Amino acid sequence: MRIVVGQGSCGIAAGASKVYDAIEALIPNTDSELTFTGCIGMCFLEPIVDIYDGKELIKRLVKVQPTDAEKIIAFINGDKNAVNDIEICDDDKAFLEKQTRIALRHCGLINPEKIDEYIADDGYAALKKVLTTMTPEDVIDEIKLSGLAGRGGAGFPTWFKWNAARQSQGEEKYLICNADEGDPGAFMDRAVIESDPHNLIEGMLIGAYAIGAKEAVVYVRAEYPLAIIRLEKAIEQAKEKGLLGQNILGTDFSCEMRIKAGAGAFVCGEETALIESLQGERGMPRLKPPFPAQSGYWYKPSNINNVETFANVAWIMLNGGSAFSAMGTENSKGTKVFALTGKIKKGGLVEIPMGKTLRDVIFDIGGGIKNDAQFKAVQMGGPSGGCIPAHLLDTVIDYKALGATGAIMGSGGMVVMDESTCMVSMAQFFLDFTTKESCGKCIHCRIGTKRMNEILNRIVKGEGKDGDIELLEELCYSIKDGALCGLGQTAPNPVLTTIKYFRNEYEAHINEKKCPAHSCTELISYTINPELCKGCTLCARKCPVSAITGELKSAHKIDNDKCIKCGACYNNCKFNAITMD
Amino acid sequence: MDTIKVIIDGKECVGEKGQTILTIAENNGIEIPTLCYIKEVKPYGACGLCVVEVEGIPKLLRSCSAVASDGMVINTQSDRVRQSRKIALELLMSDHTGDCKGPCSLNCPAGTDCQGYVKLISQGKYKEAVELVKDRVPLPASIGRVCPHPCETACRRQMVEEPISIAFLKAFAADKDLKSDNKFIPEIKPATGKTVGIIGGGPAGLTAAYFLATKGHKVTIYDAMPKMGGMLRYGIPQYRLPKEVLDMEIDTIKELGVEMINNVKIGKDITLDDFKSKFYATLVAIGAWKSSSMGVTGEDLNGVYGGIDFLRSVALKKPFSIGEKVAVCGGGNTAMDACRTAVRLGAKEVYVIYRRTRAEMPAEKVEIDEAEEEGVTYKFLCNPVEFIGENGMLKEVKLQKMVLGEPDAGGRRKPVPVDEFETIALDSAIMAIGQKISIDGFEELELTNRGNISADTTTFRTSIDGIFAVGDATNRGASIAIEAIGEAQKASEVIDSFLNGKMVAYKKPFVSEKIVTAEDLRDREKISRAKMPQRSAEERKHDFDEVNLGFTDEMAISEAKRCLECGCHDYHECKLIRYANQYDIHPERFCGDKHNCPKEQKLVTIERDQNKCVLCNLCVRVCDEEVGKGILGLVGRGFTTVIKPEFNKPEVLTFCKDCQKCVNNCPTGALKSL
Repeated sequence: MRIVVGQGSCGIAAGASKVYDAIEALIPNTDSELTFTGCIGMCFLEPIVDIYDGKELIKRLVKVQPTDAEKIIAFINGDKNAVNDIEICDDDKAFLEKQTRIALRHCGLINPEKIDEYIADDGYAALKKVLTTMTPEDVIDEIKLSGLAGRGGAGFPTWFKWNAARQSQGEEKYLICNADEGDPGAFMDRAVIESDPHNLIEGMLIGAYAIGAKEAVVYVRAEYPLAIIRLEKAIEQAKEKGLLGQNILGTDFSCEMRIKAGAGAFVCGEETALIESLQGERGMPRLKPPFPAQSGYWYKPSNINNVETFANVAWIMLNGGSAFSAMGTENSKGTKVFALTGKIKKGGLVEIPMGKTLRDVIFDIGGGIKNDAQFKAVQMGGPSGGCIPAHLLDTVIDYKALGATGAIMGSGGMVVMDESTCMVSMAQFFLDFTTKESCGKCIHCRIGTKRMNEILNRIVKGEGKDGDIELLEELCYSIKDGALCGLGQTAPNPVLTTIKYFRNEYEAHINEKKCPAHSCTELISYTINPELCKGCTLCARKCPVSAITGELKSAHKIDNDKCIKCGACYNNCKFNAITMD
Repeated sequence: MDTIKVIIDGKECVGEKGQTILTIAENNGIEIPTLCYIKEVKPYGACGLCVVEVEGIPKLLRSCSAVASDGMVINTQSDRVRQSRKIALELLMSDHTGDCKGPCSLNCPAGTDCQGYVKLISQGKYKEAVELVKDRVPLPASIGRVCPHPCETACRRQMVEEPISIAFLKAFAADKDLKSDNKFIPEIKPATGKTVGIIGGGPAGLTAAYFLATKGHKVTIYDAMPKMGGMLRYGIPQYRLPKEVLDMEIDTIKELGVEMINNVKIGKDITLDDFKSKFYATLVAIGAWKSSSMGVTGEDLNGVYGGIDFLRSVALKKPFSIGEKVAVCGGGNTAMDACRTAVRLGAKEVYVIYRRTRAEMPAEKVEIDEAEEEGVTYKFLCNPVEFIGENGMLKEVKLQKMVLGEPDAGGRRKPVPVDEFETIALDSAIMAIGQKISIDGFEELELTNRGNISADTTTFRTSIDGIFAVGDATNRGASIAIEAIGEAQKASEVIDSFLNGKMVAYKKPFVSEKIVTAEDLRDREKISRAKMPQRSAEERKHDFDEVNLGFTDEMAISEAKRCLECGCHDYHECKLIRYANQYDIHPERFCGDKHNCPKEQKLVTIERDQNKCVLCNLCVRVCDEEVGKGILGLVGRGFTTVIKPEFNKPEVLTFCKDCQKCVNNCPTGALKSL
C-alpha cells in the first residue's frame, strides 16, 4: 500500500509534517511506501492522509494527529477498523466529488517533486502534441476556441493577448507567469505551484511556443517559499528530461525558464509593475498604452498570464478547446478555482464549471455558514472586488453576471461573512490593505485611498459625520476614474458595494453611533441587568481591566470608562444578565 | 511626415502621427494642466491632471502619453475631466504643508506682498520695493505712516521677539522713491476710451483712480473738500502724516492722467444722475464724515465737538479755541489724534475718557504711549453721562464709574456702570466715538440696516447698475484706510471687467497655509526690532511737525533682514497653486494625516521641503534621464512615499554635479537653490 500525506503549505501548517515524521518512524516495519502530495484542497480537514492500494484510494483520513500513526500502521497491517474514527465522512467526501477539476486536476494526487508521476498522468503529452503537430497559430486558435480568459482577475481573452504578442515585431519576446498572488484570502496559485508545478511549466511552454518566446519567467512572491522550492525542483527535472532548454523534445523549439522571487508588493501583481520589478526597478505601474504585448519586459513584446490560466492550457491542448468551452456560460468558459474562506463550514479550494451559482459553492460544496449562522455576504476578488449580499446568492459564476453586482470574478478569493461581520469594518479592512499597498505613484491612489481609509476609520469609531457617505462615494468614483493602474481603479470596489448593499450599516454608524453587527468595539457598550445578576462575581473575575465591581450575591456594575469592550463578561455570564448594545 | 487631424474642444487641430494628445494640444494653443510632465523626460502619468475624454473611449486618457489618432474627438474640459483634476488637486493640497504667502500679506486687507518688498528693501532695491507695493497700494508713503498695520499683527517674527517694522519700511522705501529723480510711475495701458467717475478723493477713491488709469480708462475724481486726500488729509494730523508727503503721492496719480475736481458737492453741484449719463461707470467712495454722538445730555453745548469734525477744522486751519481743559471721549485712534492735537493746540490739561481699561483700547499701543508722553491723562473705567454748561457753554462733565463685566460677543469685556460719579471742569470736550456716513445726495442708493451704502462684497455693485461703492461709506461702515484701499483695488479690477463687457466678481484666491509655533522658531537668533527715531515728547508737543524722523538706510536694511520669509519662494511660479485656483478646490473636505518631514539641506546648494513635494518625480527623472546621474529615488510605499537619495543612501549625493535641473523643474516650491 501507499500512504500519501497532503503536504501543501496549508497541510504543513496544520501539522502534516509531524504526521509524516510519525508515520515515517514506523513505516520500515511494513511493506508499504510513504510519500506525500501537494494540496488536496480541503483545508477544513487538514492534515489529510490518503491510503492507496495501487491506484485506488481506499482510505482518506482527516484531521490526522501524529499519535494516529500507529493506527495507520495497524490498518495497513490488516486491522480494517483501526482508522475508522479518523476516516472522512460521506458528507465531507462530497466537497471534492461535486467539483470539476481541470486546473487542479493533479493536485493532491501526485507527488509534486516527482516528474515521473506527472508524466505518468499524461504530463507533457500536450507539449509533445503541440510541438510535433501544431503551429503556433494552431495553438492560439485552439485557445480561442476554448474561450479561456485570464484567471488573474481581469478576465481578458487569453488568445487575444497571445496573438498580440505573437504579431508584435521583434525576435526577442518573453513569456511571464504572474504568481504574485497577493489578495488576502486567495491561495489558488500557491496550491497549483506547490501541488502540480509541471502543469504550470507545461502550460507556459505551450504559451511560449505560441507567442515565440525563448525565455520564460515565473514571478513568484517570496512569501511562497515552498512553491519556489518545488518549482525550482520541477524546472531542474524538466531540464534533465529535455523538456526545458534547447531543442525541447528534439524539436527546434527552445525555451529557458527561471524564477524571480518578488519582494512582496501587492502592486507587482499589476502586470506593468511586475515588469518593472523584474527589471530591477521599483514596482510601479507603467503608463498603458503601450501594452506589454508591444513593449513589456526590457521593452520587448511580452505576454503575462496568471498561474491558473496556464494551468488550464495543457488540458485544453490534450482535450481540445471545444471540450473546455462546453463548460460554462455564454461568455465565461471552462472552470474557475475559488479559495473559499471566512465563516464557512468547509473552507478550501473549489474548482467548478462557470455557470454554477454562488449558492452552489457556499452552501452545496462549502456546507453553509459556520455554526449555522445567517449568511450575510461574500467578498469576491479580495481588495479589488466587492461584496455580494444574501439576496444575490443565486447569481451565476460568470464574468458578466458577477460584474453586474458591483463585485468581480477576481482571482478567486471568496471570503464568506455572517451576521457578526460589520460591513463597514470589512470595507475598511480591505481599504487599509490597498492604502498600504499603493505604490505611491499616482495621486488618486496614494492620497485618495488614504483619505477614504481615514473616513472609514472615523465611521467605525463612531466619529463619522453627516455627508461622509457621499464624500466616500465621490472619492470612490474619482479614484476609479483617475488612478493609474488596476490597483487604484479597483480599490474603491469594497466600499462602493458595501455602500450599495449595506448603506443602512453606514448610516447606523454615523447617525446612531451604533454598529448593527456589534463588531465595532468603540460602538458597543455592555450593561448588567440587576434583575438577572445573581452576584456570582464571575464576570468581575474574568474582566481583564477590573471594570466590573459588586459585592458577592448582589448585582454587579460595569464602569464603561474602564471597559475595553473585550466581551469576556458577556461571554462568561451564566445568567444572561449582561446585555450588549 | 504624416499629419493627422483631431478635434480638441471643438477646434480642429493638426498634428503629426505618433504625437501625444498633449503635444498636439500644446502646439495648438490649448493648455492641458500637468504637474509631472516635461518634454525632456519620458511620460510618467503620476499627477493625472492631464486626463482628457476621448469620444468612444470609456476611460479617461492621460494625454501626456496617449498617442493621438486621426479623427479623434477630444474634450479637455468636460465635467468629468474637471472633476478628476479637481479631486487630484484637492487630494494633493490635503497633504501639502506650506505657506504660499506669509501671514503679513494674508492679513493685509489689500493683500500687499509685504514679504516681497521687505526682501527687496533688505537688498537695497528700494525702487523695486515701491513698484511691488504699488501693485496694491498707490499711497505707500502715506499709508506706511498711518496704517495700524495688520501685517505686523500677524508677523511671525513676534514669536521670536518683535514683528518686522513692515509699515515704516514701506514708508521708508516710498520716501526714497518720492525724493528720487526718477520715481516709479506705473505703465499705462493704451487708452480704452472708457470713462470712470469717482466720487470721493480719499484713499479708496485715489486707489481706484490709480488702478483704473493704469488700465487705460479716463478717470475723474470729484471731492467736496478743497483738496484731495480725504481722511488722510482731514482726519490724520500733520504730525503723523505731513501733507506734503500726501500731496506728492496724489501728484503721481495726477500724472497718470487722472482729473481731480474739488469743492464739488453731490446733490448740490452735481447729481448722481449726472454721473450715470457722463461716465461708463461710477465709483462711490465718499467715506464716513459725520461724528457719531453718544446721546448724552449736553452734547449740543458749545465746546463739545465731534472727533473728526475737530481734526478737520484743525487741518483746514480754521481759527479755533479749545481752551485749557480738554476731555477726549473714546479709546480709538481718532481719540489719540484728537488728544495729541489738543496738546499741540496748547491745552494744559487733556484727558482721555474711556469706558474700559488701557488693555482694551482699540488705539495702537504706540499712540497711547506717545500721547501719554506728551502729557495726556487717561481716565479709564468711566463714561460721560452729562455735559453741564452755563449759558450754552460747556463747563464740566459728569462721569460715571464703570467696572469690567463679562466678555461680549467680540471677546472684549463689557463695561458695567456702578453707582459712583465724578465731575471734571472742562473748556471743551471732543467726542471721538465713531463716524457715520452722510447720505445726502445718494438717497437713490439702497442702504444697509446700519444706514450705509449697500454694496455687493464680491462685485462692489450698488443697487444701481454701473454704480459701484467701496470704503467707509459701505456695508459695515468705517474702518481703517488700508481696508478701503484693498476694496478699491479689487473694485478697480471688477470695474475694468465691467467696462470690458463682462463683469468678473472678485474671488479670494486659495492659498495653502501652515501653522507655525514659537517652538518651530526657537533656533532663531533674537534681533531687536529697529526703533523708529523720534523727536522728544517735550519738543514735539509744541508743534505739528512730524514726530517720526524715519529710518536710515542701515536701519531699514538690517530691519528688513529680520524677515523670516514665511511665504513660499515659488509662489509666483508654482503650478500647483495656479491650478488650485483654476479648479476652485476645497481640500479641507479631505483633511487628514499630512507628511511632516523636517526641512533639509541637500549638499550646500539646494534646500528641500518635502512637505511641499507632490511626488511628480521630476527631480528623480531629470537627474536620471537627462543628467544621467540618477542620485534620487523613491523610498517607502503608498502615502508614506518620499523622495530620497537613491536607495536611501545619502552618500550617493556626492555624485551631484550641482546642475540645479531638479530645482528648475520642480513644479512647486519643494526645492530651492540656496
